[in-house]
Amino acid sequence: MKKLSVGLAGVMLAVSLMGCGAESTGTESTAVESQGTEETKAAETAGEAADENEEAVVITAWHDNDEAMMNALADVVNEGLKDDNITLKFEKKSDVTGQIQLYGTDAENGPDMYLFAHDSLGSFAEMGILEPVGNLISDDKQADLLPMTIEAATYKDEQYLMPVYYETLLFMYNKDLWDGEIPSTTEDLYTYMEEHTDTEAGTYAVVNQHSGAYNVAPFINGFGGYILDKDGNPGLDTSGTIAAVSYNKKFAALQADGDYNTVTTLFNEGKAAAIIGGPWLISGIKEAGIDLGIKSLSDFTLPDGNTLKPYSGVQCLGVLKYAAESKKDAIVKVLEVLAQPEVGIVLAKEYNCAPANVKAYDDPEVAANEMILAMKKTAEVAEPMPNIPQMNVMWGPTESFLAAVNKSGEDVETAAAKYQEEALTAIADMQ
Amino acid sequence: MNKKSKQKCRLFFLNLFFIGLCFLGLVPILYAVILSISEGSGALTSGTGILPGQITFDNYRRILLEEPFLRWLLNSAVLSVGTMLLAMSTSVTASYAFSRFKFKGKKAVLQVLLLLNAFPQILTMFALFRLFKNLNLLNSHLGLILIYAGSMCIFSIWNMKGYFDSIPIEIEEASKIDGASDMQLIRKIILPLARPAIIVTAVMVLIFVWNEYLFATTFMLKEESYTLAGGLYQLQANDYSRSWPLFSAAAILVSIPILIIFFCIQKYMVSGLTAGGVKG
Amino acid sequence: MKKKKATPWLYSFPAMLLIGIIVVFPILYTGYISTTNMNLYHWSDFEFIGLENYKRALLKVDSGFLSALYTTLLWTIVNMVLQVVIAYLIAVGLNTEGLKLKRVYKTLLMFPWAMPAYVSILLWRVGMYNTEFGLFNKILVALGLSKMDFLAQNGSAFWACLILNLWMALPFMIMMIDGALQSIDKSMYESAVLEGAGFIQKNIYITIPSLRKIVAPAVIMTTFTTFKQFDIVYLLTKQKGSLSGADLQTIITYAHQNAFVSNNYGLSSAVSIVIFGIIIVFSLVTNRPEGRERA
Repeated sequence: MKKLSVGLAGVMLAVSLMGCGAESTGTESTAVESQGTEETKAAETAGEAADENEEAVVITAWHDNDEAMMNALADVVNEGLKDDNITLKFEKKSDVTGQIQLYGTDAENGPDMYLFAHDSLGSFAEMGILEPVGNLISDDKQADLLPMTIEAATYKDEQYLMPVYYETLLFMYNKDLWDGEIPSTTEDLYTYMEEHTDTEAGTYAVVNQHSGAYNVAPFINGFGGYILDKDGNPGLDTSGTIAAVSYNKKFAALQADGDYNTVTTLFNEGKAAAIIGGPWLISGIKEAGIDLGIKSLSDFTLPDGNTLKPYSGVQCLGVLKYAAESKKDAIVKVLEVLAQPEVGIVLAKEYNCAPANVKAYDDPEVAANEMILAMKKTAEVAEPMPNIPQMNVMWGPTESFLAAVNKSGEDVETAAAKYQEEALTAIADMQ
Repeated sequence: MNKKSKQKCRLFFLNLFFIGLCFLGLVPILYAVILSISEGSGALTSGTGILPGQITFDNYRRILLEEPFLRWLLNSAVLSVGTMLLAMSTSVTASYAFSRFKFKGKKAVLQVLLLLNAFPQILTMFALFRLFKNLNLLNSHLGLILIYAGSMCIFSIWNMKGYFDSIPIEIEEASKIDGASDMQLIRKIILPLARPAIIVTAVMVLIFVWNEYLFATTFMLKEESYTLAGGLYQLQANDYSRSWPLFSAAAILVSIPILIIFFCIQKYMVSGLTAGGVKG
Repeated sequence: MKKKKATPWLYSFPAMLLIGIIVVFPILYTGYISTTNMNLYHWSDFEFIGLENYKRALLKVDSGFLSALYTTLLWTIVNMVLQVVIAYLIAVGLNTEGLKLKRVYKTLLMFPWAMPAYVSILLWRVGMYNTEFGLFNKILVALGLSKMDFLAQNGSAFWACLILNLWMALPFMIMMIDGALQSIDKSMYESAVLEGAGFIQKNIYITIPSLRKIVAPAVIMTTFTTFKQFDIVYLLTKQKGSLSGADLQTIITYAHQNAFVSNNYGLSSAVSIVIFGIIIVFSLVTNRPEGRERA
């Protein structure tokens, strides 16, 4: 018993010590921060006349991307703002949209901005937690942004978000493994897959996340079907979608289980000659030392004569209302820097993101980047993902539909009717 | 002699059985270990080989040095121990009350507690969020400790009550005649006698907190205040940005402190009730 | 003991207060939200709409819900039976006299418990069940059989989830029973051996009866935990972006899929309350015989 109580006392002591430790490190970090601001302040006084009234402002933004990439983005912005005493800081959150929902009205704990694909815009706009970017930055300051990205950032005639870069799916292949030319029709591609796939041995020609809505969208859109139309009607049981899903099914049979981890590993290991994916795969592919070839999905023609039409996802920064009220000037400055080509150039060079700013493509290195060119080309036919709130509830039924057809072998028409019904209920439930 | 060799033979097979069982149970963990010591790209493999081509401990180094691992470890420790103290101190007395006193409504209260516990907590997270926002307990370790302790309290009460019931009341009555107060009784008799149950419950609370990630990531916003499980979740839950070797290395590192505690605590797992009898 | 009626309440007050704040209040608050129209379109200007949400929530108690309820019950029963039996056998084995390495065995057996749940689930999904590099499929291939996608069909997915749940939950059960075994007076075995009782008799006549009362609360608690288990089924088969094909639903995943995805907090709160009601009715019905036995 004595031992036990001594142990307990020890534990308590440890706890109190840890408590102190926590506090002291807490102050430490603020100390570092203030030191940093002092430095910049010093720099300021050394330069021009210091603006004594201006205090250091830190703008925090949440994201769920590659950390190194977001830090690179922050560095560019901070470089541009170093005279203004403004710092942009990114924090990684595993479930950004969920967190924004909870903290989007919490000025004290919530972030000032967030970076996410544009498809969640409608929900946040309806919730009334976003300050339209159009109110903060004039049109002429963002005249160089691609119209497609502005369109993606606009909901109900109001530009809510600031586009930073966009991505589309691409056909990525291993030059050492691919035998001959890349076909230009999906039928030829299928023939090639049939000849070069051995599922038992675990070698594949082309892999794709064949039951993911985003990855099947090129087929659905190409066949004239749709997941969700502009008025918020689901289209899982339209003839175009059904035809596309049936067509995708025969590809799916030759593409392993379609799980993200499976398909990327197969490709990186050299067990799959090609993968349908995006710039987010690059770092793994580079590490694996693969000689990568890239082709736009719009270079593939479907049997009906249309090309594959992937969705485009525009990564945008959104500004929360309370932040726009309390830190307006700083936020405007951040947005203005983001609208310039520098950010896009850095992201393009190091992370293969296609910049939203047209001027960024004048940079010779960006202009020579095969992957970015392919995305730019694809973007001409690609459809921006719908950004109305209904889209949020469409991913679930669509993926259930695809999984039921591709994995559980359900009849396409029956499944289409079933999940269309589910989608309608989900949309009705939103109100 | 014959009997002894029979006993030995039995122990031999029992050992064999447990070695097999441990191995079987550890297969997924061994898989994680192998992932954690393999080079970046070749982590997941469809090949038939088991060991990675190149063994590296770089992933462990990166976790320990490049991520705020020690910070998170500290947070996990503070939260676990804090929760354990709060949950155990409140539930031991409550458990004692439910085990030793006969009073009106006792059964009903126990039943209600059980039902309350049946309500899935994810469903009420939003309400807790609202409450804590108003109480200004978001982003604070105290807030999380309250949540964890409250969540584990019902479990602890129920879990210990069964064991307390098994302790003969006569032992207490004798001390009571000597004028011991209830608190003294709990400290001098119940705690030592029910040690296995208390330790099991405390460990359960500890592990629950150690491994909890949903509340730890939703209610904690600053990277420096994450717990180990929360930080790991925050950085690696997303398929698209996960590095399997790093992820596995971190997972192994997260588990080890628990195992150490568990190994050390076992010698206390003997009840005062029977310990004497065994040794005698 | 008669002297102070308030004493037990006093002793349990801190615990009750804590439970009141962390468990009861949120349920009440959920009840309140369920009577409002709080959703995306009325995020901060939501108002009282009475029982409107309940009408819609009850519509969700359809055939899909009933089959989910059936799956949940089957899941709970099979899990609990296997858990208790296996954990009992292992715990008894661990307590065999002369087993010197038992501390090492116990520690190793606890490992699955020491890992955060989502880590374990991910490891199993990729490392064990995956068609290309999962261990089970590697074994199948090595045996000359064809690959199998365990998570694509309901039947095999149920077993896949079950095995994973056993793997994750057994350590606690083993530890609990092991702890309870310590309370048994060893002298009872000695006299039983003198009377010529074998291993099985000792278990049936001494160990199991002595354990029953001590372990019962823990088993009841675990039953509820198993009943409301969400992570395993969800992360193994239903994670956004990686649906496995099986359409296995427990009532919690069913509620999640049918009410929570829409971000309609009013409606999903009503669904939560309805489910809670069903759980209450259910446990009142199932608990009755046991309550009588105890009384």
